[in-house]
Amino acid sequence: MSEETGAVAIAARGASRYYTMGDTTVRAVEDVSFDIERGEFAALLGPSGSGKSTLLNLLAGLDRLSAGSIVVAGKDLSTMDSEALARYRRLTVGMIFQSFNLVPTMTLADNIELPLRFAETPRGERRDRVLELLTNVGMAHRANHKPSELSGGEQQRGAIARSLANRPSVLLADEPTGNLDSHNGQEVMMLLRELNEKMGVTVLMVTHDPALAERYARKSLHMADGKLVSTVEALR
Amino acid sequence: MNRQDLFELAARNMRNARLRNALTTMGIAVGVASLVAMLSLGIGLQGFANHQLMKSGMFQTVFVTSKQDIRNMDENADAKPEETPALNDEARKQIAALPGVEEVAPEVRAMSEVAYGDKTNFTLVAGLPQSARDEDAVEKVQGRYFSSANADEVLVQRDFAKKLETDPNAVLGKTLTVRYAERQSGDDSSSFSIERKEKEFKIVGLLDEEPFGGMRMISRARVFLPTETAEAMHLMQPADTQQIVRSAPGTRTYSMLTVRMKSAAYAEKVEESVKKMNYSAYSYLDATKSIRRFFAVLDMFLGIFGSLALAVASLAIINTLVMAVLERRREIGIMKALGASDADVKKLFFAEAATMGLVGGALGVGLGWVIGRAINFGTNVYLHRMKMPAENLWTVPLWLIIGAVGFAVLVSVLAGIYPAARAAKLDPVQALRYE
Repeated sequence: MSEETGAVAIAARGASRYYTMGDTTVRAVEDVSFDIERGEFAALLGPSGSGKSTLLNLLAGLDRLSAGSIVVAGKDLSTMDSEALARYRRLTVGMIFQSFNLVPTMTLADNIELPLRFAETPRGERRDRVLELLTNVGMAHRANHKPSELSGGEQQRGAIARSLANRPSVLLADEPTGNLDSHNGQEVMMLLRELNEKMGVTVLMVTHDPALAERYARKSLHMADGKLVSTVEALR
Repeated sequence: MNRQDLFELAARNMRNARLRNALTTMGIAVGVASLVAMLSLGIGLQGFANHQLMKSGMFQTVFVTSKQDIRNMDENADAKPEETPALNDEARKQIAALPGVEEVAPEVRAMSEVAYGDKTNFTLVAGLPQSARDEDAVEKVQGRYFSSANADEVLVQRDFAKKLETDPNAVLGKTLTVRYAERQSGDDSSSFSIERKEKEFKIVGLLDEEPFGGMRMISRARVFLPTETAEAMHLMQPADTQQIVRSAPGTRTYSMLTVRMKSAAYAEKVEESVKKMNYSAYSYLDATKSIRRFFAVLDMFLGIFGSLALAVASLAIINTLVMAVLERRREIGIMKALGASDADVKKLFFAEAATMGLVGGALGVGLGWVIGRAINFGTNVYLHRMKMPAENLWTVPLWLIIGAVGFAVLVSVLAGIYPAARAAKLDPVQALRYE
């Protein structure tokens, strides 16, 4: 990313998201400010309803800020129109979900090809790229399987491969191990760590499990009631 | 997203809801089929009618009379003599020189006694121009047409031939004697005499009916002569008596000239030119205009009825796509999270609608064609039973095929506007929230 300035991958300044429900205004995210450096592995912690998923959606460009600003890889999301946000989601960030969100009617390979189609990657390059991505996550042998034919761990590894299709600089993970048993969960976490360390991808992971954050993340952001209450930097 | 990817994804999505999409596509096909069937029938009927009318020679013919003629007396009562030129040989040459004119022939019709073997009949003989050979009635002539415009040959009407022989075909090649009144010029131009003459002709052909030769449809002739032969015979014409009492006798004038055009397209111009020459002219062009208007209205109504089925099909498209949006809520959310823009999502649904329209349109044209062939076949079976020749009432021109498929795609894409907009507006956060 040419516009990337300095060592900061994500910079939030007074980021807020309010919803209006009838007469009351719900402050899902309120005045959140933080920096995440490039190549960092960060965790976003908090109980359910604390606003961490909303914040992640804001960072992903799926939701719009009510106030404040978020700059990711030098791009200010608060000023983007929907077309620019789509391009941002396509090229700058990758998303991983608790429920994997693979398209159930598509094979794993087709799922991974999807973001490449949106990015209009030439047809000839796609096949190689899909195979490369699947190999990186150890899923090449499952390329032509539908998600329903795969275990949870396999699906999540496939979803990670898909999130990396267009070589994003930031990976946003929403409870990536939430639907997995501890063994598969650990494998997925190891994979994320590997990607973070080897490829230098900045990872921001939402979790409600402090142990997971402690083990893998170097920086932990704690949220409660829509506000950032503490930032913990692990000594390593 | 590029077009190929768009249609690949659209095709994949349609395969995933195969039954629903197939049923909707069939709905479009039925709609297009009814449109094609209706319009082809309209076009076919129009073509059939045009063919029949053109073949009759009606619209290629302009009838010219002098304003001095007794038939035009009332309407031209105030006309000055210098403004009402005589319809003479000079006028005939002028008219013949007009662009598009194939032949100018005087109307020749006279009472005569026709002798065949030992039988005699009192009947009308009439001149038939060479250019009439393309007319429908003459085209089906049994035997052949006149070898030339001045041959001593006749065509006889079939019913008349039946009076002469039990087998009407037996008269072909036989000789027929026409006894007629010949007008001979008198000592000066103010008189003429009439003499009885006889002339022998060879019967060369049989006509089923009298071709369209003039305005006096009541006085149907039974025996037809080539025009030049008929003219050379100086058959006594009813107008001859009228001519002798007019103020400028002497020159030969015609009571009526039948002007044949190379095609109906010239008729209007020739009629205009003749009127400028101060003669009365009449053609059946006005009749065609109303016939054309009738078919335009018929086509419109057939088109509207045909389109109704397509309108119903478009509702099915809307229904199918709205269902697809609801069903694929999550998938749309995923696509947006992966970087699909609102426009991409919209285009994807348009592509699905267009694909249904294209496939439905193509199937519909095929189905419509089959229905049309069936109607045509049924009609011809009926015509055959009625002992009438088969007719092609069914025409599917290429523009209709392309137009129908194009129209189906257009209607489908229009039907896709609402579902596509709905899909594009879908909030990805909401769509991804529900498990």
